[in-house]
Amino acid sequence: MEPIITVKNLVKEYGEGARAVDDVSFEVGAGEIFGLLGPNGAGKTTIIRAISTILSFTSGKIEVLGMDNQEKAGEVRANIGILTTDIGAYERFSGRENLRYFGELYGMEKKDLDERIEELSRLLDMEAFIDKRAGKYSTGMKQRLAIARSVIHNPRVIIFDEPTSGLDVLASQTVRNFMQRSKEEGRAVIFSTHQMYDAEKLCDRVIIIHKGKTVAYDSVENLKIKTGTGDLEDVFLQLVATG
Amino acid sequence: MNLRNVITIWKKEIKDTIRDRRTLFSMVIIPILLMPVIMIGMFKLIESQTESQKEKAVKIAIANEDAAPQIAAAITQQGKVEVVKVDGDLQTAVAEEEVDAAIIIPADFQELVVSQKNAELELISKSTNLNSANVSAVVSVVISNYNKQLLGKRFGAQGINPEILSGVTVVNRDAATAKETSGYLLGLLIPLFIVIYSIAGGQYTAIDVSAGEKERKTLEALFLTPAKRIEIVLGKFLAVSTVSLTSIVLAISSLYISFTYIGDIGGSMSAGMGATGMDTSPFNFSVEPQAAILLFGVSIFLVLMFSAAILSISIYAKSFKEAESYISPAYMVVVLPIALINSMPTFEPALWHYAIPAVNAVLLFKEVLIGTYDMGHILMTFASLIIASIFAILIATKIYSKESVLFSS
Repeated sequence: MEPIITVKNLVKEYGEGARAVDDVSFEVGAGEIFGLLGPNGAGKTTIIRAISTILSFTSGKIEVLGMDNQEKAGEVRANIGILTTDIGAYERFSGRENLRYFGELYGMEKKDLDERIEELSRLLDMEAFIDKRAGKYSTGMKQRLAIARSVIHNPRVIIFDEPTSGLDVLASQTVRNFMQRSKEEGRAVIFSTHQMYDAEKLCDRVIIIHKGKTVAYDSVENLKIKTGTGDLEDVFLQLVATG
Repeated sequence: MNLRNVITIWKKEIKDTIRDRRTLFSMVIIPILLMPVIMIGMFKLIESQTESQKEKAVKIAIANEDAAPQIAAAITQQGKVEVVKVDGDLQTAVAEEEVDAAIIIPADFQELVVSQKNAELELISKSTNLNSANVSAVVSVVISNYNKQLLGKRFGAQGINPEILSGVTVVNRDAATAKETSGYLLGLLIPLFIVIYSIAGGQYTAIDVSAGEKERKTLEALFLTPAKRIEIVLGKFLAVSTVSLTSIVLAISSLYISFTYIGDIGGSMSAGMGATGMDTSPFNFSVEPQAAILLFGVSIFLVLMFSAAILSISIYAKSFKEAESYISPAYMVVVLPIALINSMPTFEPALWHYAIPAVNAVLLFKEVLIGTYDMGHILMTFASLIIASIFAILIATKIYSKESVLFSS
């Protein structure tokens, strides 16, 4: 499998040598949902920010679609879509205006952008509220808008950072379906979460990070066999406890 | 640099600002309506106070009025003076403001006058009572005139020309033209307004596009786009500058139109300025085209400098409220010294004063509004503001690249 994302020996130090990420390496391929797992504060968001070029790192190397993410930061960002933990939207703008703004910043032409907004509106069932101001949206509506925003430019890589935290069952289902669909479309998907149930259902392979270090990196099935446990939550608890 | 991204961000921020009632209020409503209303209201209040003071009859008590009826008559003829009878102690009557002032004429006034001796009148007034002070002025004039007449008679009786009493007289003549006088007055208001609006006009936009974005969790999404940091900063910076400059133009235009067309405030200002010995002919609020161009040109750079500064301060905050608490003291630090310099009539700036950003703008504005164009001052001001603006923009870009600032939340 040709890797779409390659992270090699990533280290991120804050302040006086405190390591938020300590020598982490992994690869993510096309058509794969890759789980970035770990408890809160493990370093998952730092890794995602480093991949997406908005956070510098101390040492290591990151490549996205064969491009060094420090040398070609703009091109890398143009190929990545990120759905972050915090669902933010410009509340005085409608959903459509929010999407148009980001689409323009991704360099999309008006015709393509309008078509893409219509497509995502249908796909994420946003047609009823896309022209209303985002300030009046419910959490579920905001989440759908956030998903649409993260993929407005049709990226080859999609990163979901704790996308279902705080969402109700229906909104979470929308996110999971979208992730599955992205995989089927051949995109490389990174799913960062501490919710093992979702990870087990969706991920092909996972990396478990604890205190910035890699404690496991394999397929879900292999990890279960290696640890002799029945589900990913037990795998996680066992590895984190011993890690 | 991709200019399309800068324009996209600029357009979005302007649109967002227009839709934000809070920002719109500080950018449009206050500059257009509130400040002119306050300014005109202030002058109207002064005028009405002065008028009502003139209209109001002051009460005066005279002891031994019969001893000098001609003085009592002269005082009454001054108009708006009411001579009242007081039975008790005059000092107490004045202290308790039963009357505004009292005059005690000596019982032997006529004898003293006839024998050409000095007759001493006692005037009791109360310095904390404004009417009392006015009575003192009236009585002084009456006594001065009475003295002149009396001494004239005495000199005349001795065959001496009474004009020898007038050794030296002073006639006031203001060399300042009406334009200069008006410019002086505008120079007190316009510079301060421009400085205030170059900060306050864009303040809410600056906070909204930086700390506001952090608070709404949209800033990171913006950084995730291919737009470079400098493009994002420039787009936001231009939006803040546009809003500030619009505020200034609206505020000054509104003030100018109000002064020129609404209400007869020239009279009240003339009255006020007359007390300072200035020419009290009607004010001429015309601003020369070259002065207007200079005001606008300097305002642009003032706005660029302050916009970058408040954008830099705002990004440090995690929330809108926090940003406001950072900007308010910074605002005072800038405005207070400028307000002080602005109100110092005897301050004579040296060339180096025109190198101090913001202070130089105020000094230059004051000059050009009275029709003085000093090329050295103009060039120094522009050079200083351009350099300060460039530095401020570079610092803002640097701050927007600091991870510790951006991800502090």
